[in-house]
Amino acid sequence: MNTATETRGSRRHLSIEPITRLEGHGRIEIFLDDAGDVEHAYLQIPELRGFEVFSRGRPAEDMPQITSRICGVCPTAHHMAATKALDDLYRVEPTPTARKIRELVYNAFMLEDHALHVYVLGGPDFIVGPQAPAAERNLVGVIGKVGVEVGKKVIAMRRRVRELIAYFGGKVIHPVLGLPGGVAKGLDPAELPRFQALARDALEFALFTNQVFHDLVLKNPDYVKLIISDVYTHRTYYMGLVDAQNRVNFYDGRIRVVDPAGREYASFPASRYREFIAEHTEPWSYMNFCYLRPLGWNGFTDGTGTSVYAVAPLARLNASDGMATPLAQKAYEEYFATLGGKPVHHTLANHWARVVEMIHAAERMVALASDPELTGTDLRTLPAQKPSVGIGVVEAPRGTLFHHYETDELGLITKANLIVATQNNAARIAMSVEKAAKGLIRKHEVSEGLLNMVEMAFRAYDPCFGCATHSLPGHLPLRVRIHDRKGGLWRELVQE
Amino acid sequence: MASPVITGRRASVLVLGLGNDLLGDDAVGLHVAREVRKRLAGAGDCAVSETIEMGLALLDEIVGCEHLLLVDAIETGTAPPGSIHEFGAASLGGRRIAAPHFVGIAETLELGGRLGLAMPRDVRVFAIEVRAEYTVRSSLTPEVRRAVGKAADRICRLLDKICRARRGVVR
Repeated sequence: MNTATETRGSRRHLSIEPITRLEGHGRIEIFLDDAGDVEHAYLQIPELRGFEVFSRGRPAEDMPQITSRICGVCPTAHHMAATKALDDLYRVEPTPTARKIRELVYNAFMLEDHALHVYVLGGPDFIVGPQAPAAERNLVGVIGKVGVEVGKKVIAMRRRVRELIAYFGGKVIHPVLGLPGGVAKGLDPAELPRFQALARDALEFALFTNQVFHDLVLKNPDYVKLIISDVYTHRTYYMGLVDAQNRVNFYDGRIRVVDPAGREYASFPASRYREFIAEHTEPWSYMNFCYLRPLGWNGFTDGTGTSVYAVAPLARLNASDGMATPLAQKAYEEYFATLGGKPVHHTLANHWARVVEMIHAAERMVALASDPELTGTDLRTLPAQKPSVGIGVVEAPRGTLFHHYETDELGLITKANLIVATQNNAARIAMSVEKAAKGLIRKHEVSEGLLNMVEMAFRAYDPCFGCATHSLPGHLPLRVRIHDRKGGLWRELVQE
Repeated sequence: MASPVITGRRASVLVLGLGNDLLGDDAVGLHVAREVRKRLAGAGDCAVSETIEMGLALLDEIVGCEHLLLVDAIETGTAPPGSIHEFGAASLGGRRIAAPHFVGIAETLELGGRLGLAMPRDVRVFAIEVRAEYTVRSSLTPEVRRAVGKAADRICRLLDKICRARRGVVR
């Protein structure tokens, strides 16, 4: 439902905000100029305060638990990035078995999280459809479209994957898996067949999802047109973790950046991230906008001269030379062939890239579950060096995630910094929101589809709206407020 | 592929506290659940649980129970911090997914029903008013802390009523 209220003033400030709380107060703000056209638009996400103060003085070994509890959205990603930062802090390599257990858990997590997005979060945009009434663009609408049996499959797969994660690390939200140099628990060979079966089913599920995406999205010319439309296109740099052959890797590798033409711009280990990533601030936002430090901040621009980069599935596929597994590689080739070659600049292609990555995650699960080393008993290399600085990186579902800790000689935290995916993507998200808004607001005329279209612009990135885990009333109606130059309310739109 | 089943004997009555214990007042639902648990001391067919998860993860907790009492933080801005709101699931309102990660409680309940899962037939929500601060902190503010006992009182009274109606007794 959209509602409009009063009008006054000349310059308008329009904001779209959820009216619920901690999950959290992500809000879109749009400023109009005197002519009634969009001057600025951005996604406002509250910064979590006090993390460093809270962390200071605590043992570094607590960070995998603390960070996974702070973020209820990607606990496993934070747990793994923190664990890898501890490896680096103590200059210790995990044993082969420990590494494989971590990778199995991590790929299972990626599969589950991506599935959740494809069916539940992004699904309303494409499976139900961007033009469907708001009341149908929800999870129940998705189930209505794909059928109850598919819904059951999604729920069942999610639950079994979480059982795997819980086997190794206890509660998903509070895992105790990662230790510097290894893992806390190995795999009982008697349990192996169960996990092998799960991995096989996960692959079947990922391929099924690929088929669903083809049937419901790619066979619909309107959807394909929307995906490749200019309003959802930005020519920026792209960042992602790659293995030694420059193939996508969620758990480990070098960070690779390609330019808007798809050429390699940089390739560096996590320890050098500060040489390549800087943060820009704007007076109108309390967000920091990441950009490529060597290029300097060149504004919210794309194409030639930009220093903005993106992370997340679209970026990962662009930043790599391929996938490390055969079926994912096939899907990767089809993806680029269909969308006009590398790099793909269409933000909404993130949804398809996510499906390609699901196949990759599932194939990695199958490979790891059949690796004899997985049931090894050498689970940990004990740290022997004094700690000082530790930097860890993983590819979270939403993009590259950095954890950076500094400690005293006893391993107590003196400094803690995280760069999460949404920070990496912040500038490009702002550009996407602005572009969508510009196309839909002209001369004070606000198009009917504004809410849906702007929302789709940021939803494709799957931005993280905060670090709490829940909230009432449990849904996020969007609120659009248009203010005049003095801040007075001109118009208000609410989508329930 | 295996069919989805969430099985296992569940208590008929579940008190479920929601919140994040590292985000200050956001954790009030967890505190209330702990207080209720302490008072019930493992009574009969009534379980008390707490989780910092959200959305579909709640299915793992609630499938199989008949009466669900949810305890959570809320920010309506219309009542002072520490105020206790009580309402039924229907009042949770819209089911739309506008948050990129978020599946609302009402939507989760409806989804479970659509998928044929054993969803609670009776849901009551106790929501304690807070002011979001976005600050990592492991303690409650005094106003919200004072609401913990009061909310536990109300929940225990409701539990007593439910259990009597079920011809059980809360010990």
